[in-house]
Amino acid sequence: MWESLVHLIQRCFQPPGSTQVSVAGPGRADITPTVIDGARTMKINNIADVRRHFRNNQEPVYFISATNFNLLGIGDWVGNFRHINYIDCFDGQQRNVFVPKEKFPRDFESIEDINNYLLEHKEVIDFIQSRASGENAGVAAFLMFDEHTEEICRQLGLRVAFPPAALRSRMDNKIETVRIGNKAGVPSVPNVLAKVGSYRELLEVSRELGDDLVVQTAYGDSGHTTFFIASEEDYYKHAEEIEAEPEVKIMKRINCRGSAIEACATRCGTVVGPLMTELVGFKSLTPYKGGWCGNEMFAGAFSQEIRDKAREYTFKFGEALREEGYRGYFELDFLIDMDNGEVYLGELNPRVTGASSLTNVAAFAHSDIPLFLFHLLEFSDVDFDLDIEEINERWSHPDSVDSWSQLVIKHTDESVDLLTRAPRTGVWTLGEDNRIAYDHYSYHPHAAENEREAFFLRISGPGDFRYEGADLGILITRGRLMDDDFQLTERAKAWIEGIRGEYAGQPLQDPVVEEVAVNHAIGGGNFKIL
Amino acid sequence: MNGGAKRHHEARRVEMEKVLVFRTLHEETPGSKWRSLFDYHWPAYEAWYLSEGERERPGYLSCYNALRQHMPELLETYRALCELAGGGDLAARFLSLYQPPPYITGCSQAVLARPGAPLLARNYDYPPELCEGTVLYTRWNGRGVIAMTDCLWGVLDGMNEAGLAVSLAFGGRKAVGEGFGAPIILRYLLEFCDSVPQAAEVLARVPTHMAYNITLTDAAGRYVTAMIAPDRRASIRRVPVATNHQKKIEWYAHALASETLIRERQLSILVDDPATTEARLLEAFAAPPLFRRDYARGLGTIYTAAYWPVTGRVSYRWPGETLDLAFDHFAEKQLRVRYGPR
Repeated sequence: MWESLVHLIQRCFQPPGSTQVSVAGPGRADITPTVIDGARTMKINNIADVRRHFRNNQEPVYFISATNFNLLGIGDWVGNFRHINYIDCFDGQQRNVFVPKEKFPRDFESIEDINNYLLEHKEVIDFIQSRASGENAGVAAFLMFDEHTEEICRQLGLRVAFPPAALRSRMDNKIETVRIGNKAGVPSVPNVLAKVGSYRELLEVSRELGDDLVVQTAYGDSGHTTFFIASEEDYYKHAEEIEAEPEVKIMKRINCRGSAIEACATRCGTVVGPLMTELVGFKSLTPYKGGWCGNEMFAGAFSQEIRDKAREYTFKFGEALREEGYRGYFELDFLIDMDNGEVYLGELNPRVTGASSLTNVAAFAHSDIPLFLFHLLEFSDVDFDLDIEEINERWSHPDSVDSWSQLVIKHTDESVDLLTRAPRTGVWTLGEDNRIAYDHYSYHPHAAENEREAFFLRISGPGDFRYEGADLGILITRGRLMDDDFQLTERAKAWIEGIRGEYAGQPLQDPVVEEVAVNHAIGGGNFKIL
Repeated sequence: MNGGAKRHHEARRVEMEKVLVFRTLHEETPGSKWRSLFDYHWPAYEAWYLSEGERERPGYLSCYNALRQHMPELLETYRALCELAGGGDLAARFLSLYQPPPYITGCSQAVLARPGAPLLARNYDYPPELCEGTVLYTRWNGRGVIAMTDCLWGVLDGMNEAGLAVSLAFGGRKAVGEGFGAPIILRYLLEFCDSVPQAAEVLARVPTHMAYNITLTDAAGRYVTAMIAPDRRASIRRVPVATNHQKKIEWYAHALASETLIRERQLSILVDDPATTEARLLEAFAAPPLFRRDYARGLGTIYTAAYWPVTGRVSYRWPGETLDLAFDHFAEKQLRVRYGPR
């Protein structure tokens, strides 16, 4: 799953606390005072305690990323929560989103690059320091960060609420994922891990897998680093990338569907969210073959047997991760073999992800707490003892999973222009004539109340270059957007067409300007949102 | 005059007259006068600072950290000036003078070390349209400082009440590396050092982004020239003169265009001659080869400065014009100076 700006942005999204459902769990909260680090705190024993703890939170918590997509709405649950973003999707209307005013166009190379830029920016530093309490500036969460981010955070007095970058990087390695999975009893698609120097070598090492192969490099967005090889010609298209790697993952090609599941490894056990379908490679959404472009979450995704297996595997994998030293939020891609119903481990993303936006808005998240709060809890200094088994049991019940879908809409043409018009962030309606119209401003997907409404988060706006692969925006709506054959529904197509129709651009007449735009937008190493 | 934006000045044979307005400003603590200076010059400085692209300049945190590591005593003033400048990211990065875009100048400078009355004199050779022309008298950190500013608070040449006088000249080398623009290093010297030995210690440790020759003298008559560069250790020697090369010539085109060797030789002869008086030295600065009219190539003399550390007197000179100032007598004035071919 290739993580570009939006993708990376899409991993921690949370529902508002306005629609509170009764707290599940045994009777009255049993609050036991404990002393941690000399400070008198309450031990957390149930979900009500967790809710209260975060509602009353005083310590600043920041989600620092390109946009706030992944953790939209978390501020409804966590006191003193702020987003620090590079892109303002809300035209300044969202109070808990801080975007530095003074910015220069930059070709970012990665999400880490964006985050480091933000954290070194004077307006951001001043903002963080203005809310700090002495040396403690609060807690920072990211989609992506590196050792440099950690250094900056140390200096600014921010505590990073994630395992160290070096560990995350090791966990992120697809080869490592296979090994951890094997150890935990979570199978991968039949594969071999090997260094490949030629087509002949590839055939030699993969003899048992047949001649229809899928090769993946250890790191990178699977939309860009997954190669389908059924012939020598296929191989030579990607030989350079494959041969540059010290080791690649070579898999038998199976007839599969992608799926995603998010979870959080805590000291009390791994909390597991619902299994979601993935939208992959739709030409109306992405120019990238095999590129991720959305998710669906609904109670009947795949069979009960497959869902149960995926949940079981995810729990096991979470426990194995904890043995490796990793804890907190993670996401697994499972490949569901459509021929025999087998569930295979595809990929680990040790972070919040593009699917977090759905995981954190579902009914179970609102009846209990969003998954991301378990993550914050795990990285807090608070002592807690929660019955994870009971929570998992509740979350696996079909009634806990209402239906949501999201589309990540990219510019798919090769043309480059300058945007002059873009649809606003907020709730849009789809009329009987399949035309869309802006209804009202909101910052939360829940504001879309039925399937004729959708929450749209604008990423590219007026003044931005529109180029192939640029993220235009993300649409979240209730209900499904694919049919049982995994094809886009007419409703999905209408939304995509409608949103695209709301964008207008100015062609770049001046060849020099166009060249600059192209270099800026799609030049070597340019960072794309998703 | 469009403020102090700097760039490598292409040689152009433009036979036109240029005008630079010199201003003297007295403001004890950072305030409205400095802010108006910032507001006036910032557009040009911003263009210069962004001339190689914004990403080529270090981020604010790197700039802040560099100041904190190498010149921590300056931080309070830096913060105050950033605040006055509007608190923005880019202005703060610029004001740190950490890793600014490279720029080159001419310049000749010499110390006339007469017992009890040292004099530091210099010519500043640069494109007039890129020179700020501001003489600031401040007391930002307890010491009175009179200096010709560059980059809004950096120092091209100046003196403090303790009697330390400093002047910079471009070192005539192409080396560019990690460090500060020399004007802020000179500001640091004048704000926190009282003597040549103290200043020499600072010059030996604070990194510079380009090669500069810094000539210093103090009220006790000590003097040195520090040849600082990003790629080698500082060479600090008891040498009373400096022009635009360090030891041997490396950049011949610049050396030839700026006549650095001729000027150095002239200065050496002058200061080594016991018969040379202050008046004779200053006259030499007002005539070729020290006084240069190469305005078309950006290497013409913009002003002559003279600093007397013992008496606290300062003099800025142009053909037919002199501006005499002192710590106890500093009038705020404006002076229009015309430059051009004769």
